[in-house]
Amino acid sequence: MRYLRLYLYFMQFSISRALEFRLDFTFRIVMDMFYYLVNILFFKVIYLHTPMLAGWSSEQVQLFVATFLIVDGISMTVFSSNMWWIPELINKGGLDYYLIRPVSSLFFVSTRDFSVNSLINLFMAMGIFIYALIDLPGEISFLKLLFFIVLIINGTLLHYLLHLLLTLPIFWTHSSRGFVDLFYSLGMAMERPHRIYKGGLRIVFNFLLPFTLIASVPAQLYMEAFDVMTFVHLTVVTAIFWMLILFIWKKGLKNYSSASS
Amino acid sequence: MNWWRFVVAAELRKILAYRSDFWVTFVGQTLVQLLIARALWSALYEAQGVTEMNGYTLEMMTLYYLIAPIGQKILIGQNVGFIAREIYDGTFSRYLIYPLSPFQYKTLTYFTHSLFYFVQLILIISIYGTFFVPGGINIGGVILGASLYLIASLVYAMIQTIIELISLWADNIWSLAVMLRFATSFFGGGLIPLTFFPDWSLVVLKYTPFPYFVSLPIRTIMGTSTTEEILFGLLMLTFWYGISVGIVKLIWNRGQLRFTGAGQ
Repeated sequence: MRYLRLYLYFMQFSISRALEFRLDFTFRIVMDMFYYLVNILFFKVIYLHTPMLAGWSSEQVQLFVATFLIVDGISMTVFSSNMWWIPELINKGGLDYYLIRPVSSLFFVSTRDFSVNSLINLFMAMGIFIYALIDLPGEISFLKLLFFIVLIINGTLLHYLLHLLLTLPIFWTHSSRGFVDLFYSLGMAMERPHRIYKGGLRIVFNFLLPFTLIASVPAQLYMEAFDVMTFVHLTVVTAIFWMLILFIWKKGLKNYSSASS
Repeated sequence: MNWWRFVVAAELRKILAYRSDFWVTFVGQTLVQLLIARALWSALYEAQGVTEMNGYTLEMMTLYYLIAPIGQKILIGQNVGFIAREIYDGTFSRYLIYPLSPFQYKTLTYFTHSLFYFVQLILIISIYGTFFVPGGINIGGVILGASLYLIASLVYAMIQTIIELISLWADNIWSLAVMLRFATSFFGGGLIPLTFFPDWSLVVLKYTPFPYFVSLPIRTIMGTSTTEEILFGLLMLTFWYGISVGIVKLIWNRGQLRFTGAGQ
């Protein structure tokens, strides 16, 4: 409850601050809309040349695209703004402020800024998802939909953990530029159907850097027959990464030089 | 007149200051984007049961997506905020007392970054072409295509300068610069070769700068562009450069009156 109350304060503060900078607020909404458009057009162009890709039809890929746009929307709303600041906080000693608070420093650092403009884009992504869902042949299963929401939350958490995995090396390298750029490149793996990856790439994107588990596998579990092993794989990998991040965060804090020391 | 050497040397030192960053960005990004693109196109070719689509074999696609991310680095040059950051924190005023135009200085620093990746593109593609492309690759075409990227980077820098100068009015412009990157990447053929686009869209895109930022340099390196296309591309780049310079002058003349320096 304490953390929930704290998060509500974060939201309140972020909303009032965001509305002070209206042009920036508007630009970011337009930027995200453009990102959505590019991703939709990308697959529209691909499907001009094939009826199927990695076993999915155009309607199925539409749902997959909407899935990763929703995950991206939630990540941008809740986590991404905070992820961008972590390198500066670590390098300039600003992390001290978070470490002395009587709450989890990782929670504080990861959720302090709530991005209101991304919330608006998240609603748009949901609209795209509803359109894709209606366009998909077959009946809509509400039980599957509920389960899908759980998978989306899991996917978002995994996205956040992978982002942290490629940001926290800054505790040692003191520059995150390379790793952050690498994260955005690897993020493209999330934006492609997982079945295109074979051999070594499949192992990398399903296990080592499991970007395919963020959106593609949840979309598969919704659109196709439910597979228990896939679901177990998804949850176990997320749990492992969660523990890994906690470990790296603790190790990183031991290496951290505060501004006042 | 030797000031440009100091500027270039300083920028090169900055680029190489964080060596882990450089290698992770360069190798990691290039390799990752290449592998993902190759996986996608392999799946597409397999789904269609073909070995060639719209003039591209899978090997040509691999070369295309090897060139694209490095070419993007040439285009982008310095990252977003190369002018805006200094306007926001008031340190842009130092350029106003230098014995040269701030835009000359900024263009040179931008170009240094582009030049750095230009050299790498030539090296990597020459090595790749020698060992992995049947029949080798025309080094003259590689140099010409990479040079087109350099010329395109000057135009891209000027268009980005327009966006950066909006920071004289707006709080934060990085989202506009990111939109420019998305547009360049998609409409320039960085995500999918333009030959896969519908014909009607190519007619429209022909008069935008995007195809000449990405598609034309890549196809020149691969040896699939014609002399007419290259000449038309250079004409369009010159046209868009002129337009951009005009807009930059207009914005700067109005905007500099709003600038508040930090008094350094």
